Amino acid sequence: MSETSTDWNTGVWPDWCPGCGNFGIFTALKGALSELGIDRKKFVIVSGIGCSGKIPHFVNVSGVHTLHGRAIPFATGIKTANPELKVIVHGGDGDLLGIGMGHLVAMGRRNPDILVVVHNNGVYGLTKGQASPTLQLGNKTKSLAFPNINSAINPILIGMASGYTFLARSYAYNIEHLKGCLKQGISHNGAGILEVIQPCPTWNNIVTMDWIEKNTYYLENWDPNVKDDEEALEKANAIVALEHGKKKPLGILLEDGRKEPFGKRIASVYKYYATNTPAMQRVDDRGAALPVDLEKTFERFFV
Amino acid sequence: MDLNFIVGGPQGGGVETAGLLAVRALSMQGLEVFADREYHSNIKGKHSYSHIRASDRPVGSIKYPVDFLGALDAETMATHFHEVRKGGIVVHDAAIKKRVLTKIPSMDVRRAERLRESLKANGIGNSVGELDDWLERQGITVMAVPFGEIISERAGLSPPMIERAMNTALTSALLLSAGVPINTLVAAINVLFRDKREAAQLNAAVAKSVGEEFERIAVAREIRLPRIINTNYKKEGRKMLVAGNDAVAIGKLLGGLRLQTYYPITPAADESFTIEQHSELRNGLGETIGSPLVIQAEDEIAAICMAIGGALAGVRAATCTSGPGFSLMVEGIGWAGNNEVPVVVTYYQRGGPSTGLPTRHSQSDLLFSISSGHGEFARIVLASGSHFEALNDAIKCMNFAERYQLPVIHLLDKGIANCMTTIAPPFLNEIDRGDRFRGDGIYKRFLRGEAVSPRAYLGEEVMWYTGDEHDEIGHISEDPFVRREMYEKRMEKREKILSETKEEDKAVLIGEPDYKDLIITWGITTGAAADALTELNSFGHRVSVLQVRMMEPFPNELVESYLSEAEEVICAEANYLGQLAELIEWNCGIRLEKRVLKYTGRMITQDEIVSSFNRVKNGERRITLGGGE
Repeated sequence: MSETSTDWNTGVWPDWCPGCGNFGIFTALKGALSELGIDRKKFVIVSGIGCSGKIPHFVNVSGVHTLHGRAIPFATGIKTANPELKVIVHGGDGDLLGIGMGHLVAMGRRNPDILVVVHNNGVYGLTKGQASPTLQLGNKTKSLAFPNINSAINPILIGMASGYTFLARSYAYNIEHLKGCLKQGISHNGAGILEVIQPCPTWNNIVTMDWIEKNTYYLENWDPNVKDDEEALEKANAIVALEHGKKKPLGILLEDGRKEPFGKRIASVYKYYATNTPAMQRVDDRGAALPVDLEKTFERFFV
Repeated sequence: MDLNFIVGGPQGGGVETAGLLAVRALSMQGLEVFADREYHSNIKGKHSYSHIRASDRPVGSIKYPVDFLGALDAETMATHFHEVRKGGIVVHDAAIKKRVLTKIPSMDVRRAERLRESLKANGIGNSVGELDDWLERQGITVMAVPFGEIISERAGLSPPMIERAMNTALTSALLLSAGVPINTLVAAINVLFRDKREAAQLNAAVAKSVGEEFERIAVAREIRLPRIINTNYKKEGRKMLVAGNDAVAIGKLLGGLRLQTYYPITPAADESFTIEQHSELRNGLGETIGSPLVIQAEDEIAAICMAIGGALAGVRAATCTSGPGFSLMVEGIGWAGNNEVPVVVTYYQRGGPSTGLPTRHSQSDLLFSISSGHGEFARIVLASGSHFEALNDAIKCMNFAERYQLPVIHLLDKGIANCMTTIAPPFLNEIDRGDRFRGDGIYKRFLRGEAVSPRAYLGEEVMWYTGDEHDEIGHISEDPFVRREMYEKRMEKREKILSETKEEDKAVLIGEPDYKDLIITWGITTGAAADALTELNSFGHRVSVLQVRMMEPFPNELVESYLSEAEEVICAEANYLGQLAELIEWNCGIRLEKRVLKYTGRMITQDEIVSSFNRVKNGERRITLGGGE
């Protein structure tokens, strides 16, 4: 695929603040799509509400800009109905880890082939900088009247506990690293979380570029793959240890290909699904109902 | 022939099976049945009953007083003895004769108070036996049958099975005394226990033994069993016996549903069970020609959002819920309205607000369903008034959704959801998938110029959707011109719908067109009103029923034309305000003062319609009903 990054632009003007981390994510995403040779008609970005939620309008693939916190169930419906589509979710930390947390956990249980990209800037930007679920306890960003009295949650550890089979963290301004994580996450056949640490230059005066430099590091000599249960437990313990370190690791933390994705699980109980997904099934015969045999299909209701 | 009876007992004590056995046997006998299931939000122990009606004519309601009462426990006796007509029959296990009526721990405190007052006022003692004696004095035959002995000695069942067969014993006694032949009863048992051969044999043995012994007791006591059921009724083709949840499931399956999402809630969840159990649609050769997928979502918000997702991918998608779940779905429905997504929400109303009466009937969400969601958007709300309609409307709702590209709310109630009835098999309808995009070039999902733009599915073209106001491409726009254009595009669907929809889907006149008075109603109350017509008109009235079906957009011209012909209009519905009457005033500017209302959680019954009509004729304006336990 020879498309350059700009070929993935819709022409809609990205109305993020100058210096917003979303620009980095936008650029890395276009690069990943280009390098993966994506068929734009078969690729769907599903997003939530907030600054990050606007990203589908800027990328020239299909976009579904949904409700606050609900991108995951929309995406699950799309992917399940038509597994031929490649589906990714973009949402903010407030969207995915606050109002939409229940769906994030439920998605891990199902393991659908969807990558969730968490734009993590620690604040609710579009509503003027309130504390998000990832803002550290005691932090007082500039919009807050008082220091934050809630502890922060860690999307990687939530994802691990929920059963996600791909976990990664990257940084919005390291385009190459982020592009690599996106490519890997999009290619992974299962539920993935990619946390992207991004500065919010307008509202978050704590998580600045400088802060990120000092409080993160790139994983080295780390194999995210697991082959068996024993190794999975070791890896889980090791990830917990890493996540409790003073600095946050950047890179792919987990890639577990052993668990069956949602589509396979559905096909194990709905035999027809394996070869006839809902999107492939006809529902009419040129405007007439299909010739369903009532007594053969609904025998137990007949008197 | 019109038989009404109640079988009651503790929840989880076989009372549901008793009801199922009765409706199956009666329908196999060629009768039309309509059976109400009343139960608490409880798994085991609280009072539960079926009110079963069988007739040689189609029936869509229940009627009091009842002819028979079958009691599995003392609470059933205490709760329902006053509902049996003079000349009726009460049957219970002889073993409960000594039970104290005033010491039933599962009984609601206020119900127990009323019971004590009633026992005192009528000079009835505290035991079931004393109640039996009083009933006998009122001209009601009480048969306290030693079912335990019959089951163990004559049918040969051992102790743990005796208790479990009590329901079959009781139901058999009732049905046999009504004249249902033992062969029909055994055939019904075989159907009910089709997957449990041994249980079928044991229950058949119980039915036979009870039949013989019951006969012997009747002869000994010189009781003439009514046997009002003939040996056979004329059958017009095969019938189906369904609960409303089943009817809608069948409709959805025939109508091309391919994705159903839901979160468990009473009284909606059984619909999804039925879809799962019949998820392989078979043609005449037995081949699978379709298989809808059912997903249990993590909550109702996810359920509606997943269904919308499926619809965007071009799949006929639906969800089903009740009030609390619908409340959670509202934001999603607004998104579907803004994005012109064909999605169907089957809405079974129950008693609200909040958790309300989770297992009880209500029609109090009419105004909510037509106006739920912030902002304005076009939707269709279609309310079915019977099981047969519910089945066919489920198909129509999916057609409407795709034809007009909007959310469709199929409005039902607990009455329809849980009542079982016999219906004619459906005819296979047309499937209307609406205008599809077949062109080349840039796809515009919300192409201007028409209320409905050609639709492409995700995967076919590149397209955008957003909950924000958007241009015809689907990108965010706050431009006032775009806003106005897109707003009008969405809202103008309402006129299009009204101009294209058949009258029968807007409002239906039941009865003679040259009526003098009109009972206007909707939902399951339609059945009670329609069933009351024969009786009312035999008293010399000239009354018909107008059933409103399309609640949004409201067919005001059609409704107005019917109303203008009537001298007296009475609106009957199961809520406090008179929500349909309010809706009519809102849309037609006609105030309907005569309102027959019920909000006890129980359905309006045929006899209540009759008595209310007469009360209105005597000058009453607002009547609130309270029948049923």
